[in-house]
Amino acid sequence: MTEQVENVNVKDQIREFVREAAQRKGVSEVTDDQSLVESGVIDSLGIFRLVAFLEESFRVRIGDEEIVGENFESIAGIERFVLNKLNR
Amino acid sequence: MNFSWTDEQHAFRREVIKFAQGELNDDLIERDRNEQFFCEGWKKCAKFGIQGLPIPEEYGGGGADILTTVCALEALGYGCRDNGLIFSINAHMWSAEIPLLSFGTEEQKKQYLPRLVSGEWVGIHAMTEPGSGSDAYSLKTRAERKGDRYILNGSKTFITNAQLADMVIVFANLDPAKGPAGISAFIVEKGTPGFSISKKLHKMGLRTSPMAELAFTDCEVPAQNLLGKEGSGTAIFTASMEWERICILASHLGAMQRMLETSTSYATDRKQFGQPIGKFPAVAGKIAEMDIRLEASRLLLYKAAWLKSQGKHPLREAAIAKVFVSEACIKTAQDAIQIHGGYGYMTEFQIERELRDAISGTIYSGTTEVQKMIIAGLHGL
Repeated sequence: MTEQVENVNVKDQIREFVREAAQRKGVSEVTDDQSLVESGVIDSLGIFRLVAFLEESFRVRIGDEEIVGENFESIAGIERFVLNKLNR
Repeated sequence: MNFSWTDEQHAFRREVIKFAQGELNDDLIERDRNEQFFCEGWKKCAKFGIQGLPIPEEYGGGGADILTTVCALEALGYGCRDNGLIFSINAHMWSAEIPLLSFGTEEQKKQYLPRLVSGEWVGIHAMTEPGSGSDAYSLKTRAERKGDRYILNGSKTFITNAQLADMVIVFANLDPAKGPAGISAFIVEKGTPGFSISKKLHKMGLRTSPMAELAFTDCEVPAQNLLGKEGSGTAIFTASMEWERICILASHLGAMQRMLETSTSYATDRKQFGQPIGKFPAVAGKIAEMDIRLEASRLLLYKAAWLKSQGKHPLREAAIAKVFVSEACIKTAQDAIQIHGGYGYMTEFQIERELRDAISGTIYSGTTEVQKMIIAGLHGL
């Protein structure tokens, strides 16, 4: 139960961050599996804002070599990446 | 919070200064005038261990942490007046060595890092194009996968060390439909058919650091020359830029210290109206401002480096340091010229060159305007 609550919390926080980023870019809706880079929600600078947000919010450390598209492709991908780190 | 260097770092700093002052400043006016790279100085720096400072010992490097690296580069900037040579060394470290270290396969690291660290090879990266500067990810160079090879086509400009390069990390888009997500990085070695230096470029400052345009025409590289994964070009570039923005201006701290000391000495010795010019408030104020800028620059740059040493991504702090230190160095060089009067404007006094060299600091590794966009972007703008 605790893990489920934690997972929901992670996804909600990521969704909220992405929603705000999308608003700034004029993108009205983002689904969990939508590519954030291709849809223009996350640009080169946005990735680093996202990394800073994840490091601060979830107390995880993200290495240079982990800042690649596959880890930040979509809300669902980011959630998997963060949960993997939290469960390590 | 601890702002002090260790005894070992202090000792290393003194060693670097002694080495740089003794070995790297000969014939600099001539070399600057002739846009001549100091090959011998490059080799001496490599032998001393500069190029390999942050690279682990297993690849021939010094295994220094980022703060020790910054400490050494600051000392290099103080002792060595050849800002072009230092710029070439920085480009080699942050745009070739660090991406290889962070994203290279074990085979790539073993193949290239020892040669780059020893100074035998010069490494560069090629990102900027005639139509894409600050908007780097709008690059037009294309890569196409054909069996076990990639074919590269495009041109690059403002490439530091281009004429010296033994290997280039080239950024090209494999899948333009994906936008920046299609950008990938490829290692291209000197002599690869289809890779050429198309035009030498001439600059206002940093004239001892060569720069040129590159052309890739049906340039074939083996699939194993892909650096990182397909589509990880933006990650490689941004990680490289993060290191570069923190470290590349460390030598500016040394240069500012040197200009402060030279100007103070001149203001003490030079007499006008019966007293040292440093006794006039207008001149003394400039000396004080040089010191204030130096101190603030140090704190900003050290903080960004310290955050990086803690495993953080100091995007904001690196951008702030980049803006402040680059602009502080220009102002300090202007003040140094002004304090020296007519002599400061003369080439033989070697102060006017400091200003010409400093100006590019607000342009390379992301202009001041781009850094301000980053900072404002972090505030949601």
